[in-house]
Amino acid sequence: MGQHDKYDAIIAGAGHNGLTTACYLAKAGLKVAVVEKNDWIGGAAVSRSLHDGWTYSNCSYVCSLLRREIVRDLELPRFGLQVIPYEGGASFTPDGDYFASYSDHDAVRREMARHSPADVDAYERFSQTVIRQCRFIRPFLLRNAPDPASLKPRDINELLFLVKKAHGLGAKELGETLRFWTMSIGDFLDEHFESDLIKAHIAGAGIIGTGLGVYSPGTAYVLLHHYMGDVDGAIGAWGFARGGMGAISNALGACFEEAGGTIVTGSGVEQFLVKDGKVTGVALDNGDTYEAPIVASNMDVKRTFLNHTEEKHLPEDFTKAVKRFKIRGSSGKLNIALDALPEFPAAPEGASFLRGDMHCSTSLNELERAYDDWKDGHWSKDPYFDMLIPSQIDPTLAPPGKHMMTVFVQYAPYDLEVNGVRSGENWNDDTRKQFADCVLDKIEVAMPDIREKMLHAEIRTPWDIENEVGLTEGNIFQGELTFDQLLFNRPVPGYAQYDTPIDGMYLVGSSAHPGGGVMAAPGANAAREILRNIGKGSAMPSHNE
Amino acid sequence: MTNSSTYDVVVIGGGHNGLAAAATLAKKGKSVCVIEKSDAMGGMARNVAMGEGVSAPQIAHLLHNLNPKVAKELGLGDLLKGSPLPTTSLSADGNHVVVEGAMVRFADGTTHPDVNAYAKQTAQLRKFAGLLGQLSTKSPPKLDGGLTSMAALGELAGLAKLGLNVKMMGKKDMREFLRVVLTNVYDLVLDEMPDGPLAGMICADAVRGNYVGPRSPGTVFNLMYRLGTGGEVRMPKGGMGAVARAFEAAATKAGCDLRTGSGVARVNVEADKVTGIVLEDGTEIATRAVLSSAAPMATMKMAGIEHFDVEAARRIKNMRCKGTVAKLNLVLKSAPQIEGLSAAQMAGRLLIAPSAETVERSFNPVKYNELPTAPVVEAVIPTLSDPELASGGRHILSAVIQHVPHTPTGGWNDANRQQVIDTVVAQLEAHMPGLSSTIEEAQLLTPSDIEDLTGAPGGHWHHAEMGVDQILTVRPVNGLAHYRFAVGGLYLCGAAAHPGGDVTGVPGRNSAMQLLKDGVLS
Repeated sequence: MGQHDKYDAIIAGAGHNGLTTACYLAKAGLKVAVVEKNDWIGGAAVSRSLHDGWTYSNCSYVCSLLRREIVRDLELPRFGLQVIPYEGGASFTPDGDYFASYSDHDAVRREMARHSPADVDAYERFSQTVIRQCRFIRPFLLRNAPDPASLKPRDINELLFLVKKAHGLGAKELGETLRFWTMSIGDFLDEHFESDLIKAHIAGAGIIGTGLGVYSPGTAYVLLHHYMGDVDGAIGAWGFARGGMGAISNALGACFEEAGGTIVTGSGVEQFLVKDGKVTGVALDNGDTYEAPIVASNMDVKRTFLNHTEEKHLPEDFTKAVKRFKIRGSSGKLNIALDALPEFPAAPEGASFLRGDMHCSTSLNELERAYDDWKDGHWSKDPYFDMLIPSQIDPTLAPPGKHMMTVFVQYAPYDLEVNGVRSGENWNDDTRKQFADCVLDKIEVAMPDIREKMLHAEIRTPWDIENEVGLTEGNIFQGELTFDQLLFNRPVPGYAQYDTPIDGMYLVGSSAHPGGGVMAAPGANAAREILRNIGKGSAMPSHNE
Repeated sequence: MTNSSTYDVVVIGGGHNGLAAAATLAKKGKSVCVIEKSDAMGGMARNVAMGEGVSAPQIAHLLHNLNPKVAKELGLGDLLKGSPLPTTSLSADGNHVVVEGAMVRFADGTTHPDVNAYAKQTAQLRKFAGLLGQLSTKSPPKLDGGLTSMAALGELAGLAKLGLNVKMMGKKDMREFLRVVLTNVYDLVLDEMPDGPLAGMICADAVRGNYVGPRSPGTVFNLMYRLGTGGEVRMPKGGMGAVARAFEAAATKAGCDLRTGSGVARVNVEADKVTGIVLEDGTEIATRAVLSSAAPMATMKMAGIEHFDVEAARRIKNMRCKGTVAKLNLVLKSAPQIEGLSAAQMAGRLLIAPSAETVERSFNPVKYNELPTAPVVEAVIPTLSDPELASGGRHILSAVIQHVPHTPTGGWNDANRQQVIDTVVAQLEAHMPGLSSTIEEAQLLTPSDIEDLTGAPGGHWHHAEMGVDQILTVRPVNGLAHYRFAVGGLYLCGAAAHPGGDVTGVPGRNSAMQLLKDGVLS
């Protein structure tokens, strides 16, 4: 029999959401413990030293969505968080050209004019629409999703807030909004732009992390998930956390510990303990048990209820809905240590876009075909990737003169097909290397000498991410961002307000509203629910915009 | 000026919607003229002669979704007599799956393992579809004036009633409705049953006519639309041609004048109001109202693009209408046979959609303007229901081929047209041994041909994709959803208008009602 401790609340999993919930609860005066299976904290927001002298953000790699209200409440800069915006990006073409984007609006217009003069005007309309949609959605991120089937005053109040915001748009804009939310990013871009390259450059944000193609309805909304963030108030901007994405988790962890919280690493939750429909604590892998009347799981909804909770404690309908919840692995990653900055023959010396997000996709059809490969259980033969060399801006990531490169690859299946069998176990050193070679071949379009400059590469498949981080199928959002899994449907209709069928047990991860990205909104919203339910609602800072 | 005449209303296009609009108005005592540019009424519901003694369904080949309200108002009830046809989803292993209503079994009568799952799911979808169906015979909810003006509240009544009815279903059903209404059919089906011919059938029905695969979100809505009036499929006596004739007869009986052989060249507009039309042959007709079942873009051009604001014109240009269905008619020397199917099953709807996966794969090539390699096929042999459709003991096999590009890269030519025919015949022959040796004539209509023949933009069966971004308040486009088409007295009455495609007759009827309500003619 191992150690036995009592707390007011236990958080299972030290991802950024779990830590966010933990911080708010601890600051409200609760005695809180966070238990984490890995020897380090951070979940998918981590900085890892996997090659001597280098630091990899080996899961999430850029930052924008982290809600500024949370950064302020928890004083994260005081705990070392510094987000440095990067400027622009580029898509390279096999014929030696590129399309670049810049943070300067007029510079983008000039670059568009170089490729397709008609697209310059389209860009104005495109930008206005996207910004308008971002402004519309942002106030909802730190609010509960209303339950339309409920007659509780709070739900009606939230529904009214939605109606009021929608009404504020006016008839024409409301029509456009309904359309935008249900259409595909491909169709949306086809309506605006003529240049295939420009469309491909923008479209990536609509498919990153999803099991959808650029022409799947609903992907225009996913684009929003990548545009609605901000860096220091600049909506849509992205940045690097200095020291890697782990800096976010470390700041949250430090804030939590200063507030008196306890972090226990190295042993994960084996079982959520339930008695008479009430949660009583958790039992860990190492035999320790922790007791608490409140337990919050940062794991995704499937892992929480299908792997670590006894089925007898759950209503049959709920279990069925959890099984049906779609969490599809669709992305892989390469984290690369570089001996020096690679050559970019197409780019002017010192171009600013080299410090931003770089791609080598040139048309929407190419992206759609990449999706078709994935549907059949293969990695994309001609993949989309989002690659950055953050060490150009943040020198702490690599030894002087050397660099770190992160390459996010869409699509890679979780259950790889080999000889007619689809299974995660088909990912082995051999298939992993073939996958990496396929990606590197395409990177050579932009950087022909990439292989010569490469000192070390960590190859991450959905299977690896699941096994290390604990995300089901390695899905970065803890669940597909499709209509049937958003708002009041996320993760299970009727349980969309961070509660579960088990009394005292909560979901605080990205499986809950408003979903994934290093946003911390589910964690903060869940903390508000928990505090409200124990009569400490006033301890939670107000976020009403 | 020749043949000058005056009508209260001119209807452009003699398809079933144009005829439904015309008949509805004429029954209210209006003088109506229907202008059809081809030589016969009926649009996509027409039969076509294929050589001596053969009358084949030119495009649509089965009747489903005819709105009972429209049928009653226009006296088309006979079309809904007779029993619905069974659907057989063909399986490579010979264990064909037969669906009648909500009942599924194997062709030999043995029990299907998913009989309960299918019955439960169908019952639920029909319930949801019935709710959505309430919106179809009303003008779509309007958002102008927001939620505060009384007029807007009146327009919203339909939506409010839907909301109320959804709420009345109870929490559990309501939550399920809100979960599935925008989702994809692939997940919906495979959550309940293993992949196979039954799942393939459901997926095929959810994508038919649209530019989607079963994994595309929104396909459950398409399936519900199909189930709106129960999902029954019928073969009227006389084939689909009888449907066209029945709509035509309803219009004639109500007193409409029908003109064929010359289309509308121009809609005359003065001071933002319709004053008349000019036919391609120069004939002028004065009228106060024009209802157009032609495509929105074509209608806009007839009236003159200068009457539309830039945003409206751009939205119309951006409408999604990529046709993806081709039609193959085969004249056969003898009746094809499928081992293990009864006579009634043979005469029913035959599907080649062996799994949800294959339906998704069928969608892949069309995205890149490539020819299909294994498309979803819906076949029917109308001569088994009505032998008079072909003389000399011959038969017709009519096949709807889902997922054929409007124009393949490089264009259509004899060789690639033949390739499509050969692909489909080979797929059919796998189940109907010796089929190819009995073919007397084959006729293929590609989406491009269908566009040329009917004017449907992109050759799209529904005139505009039935996506969630193009229905209700945003069908055909945002700001033009209430049949009124920018110019006073100009209305849309075709499938591009709410509620959308299929031989329902509803857009035509609704448009006529809107015209009367707006008081243009009083």
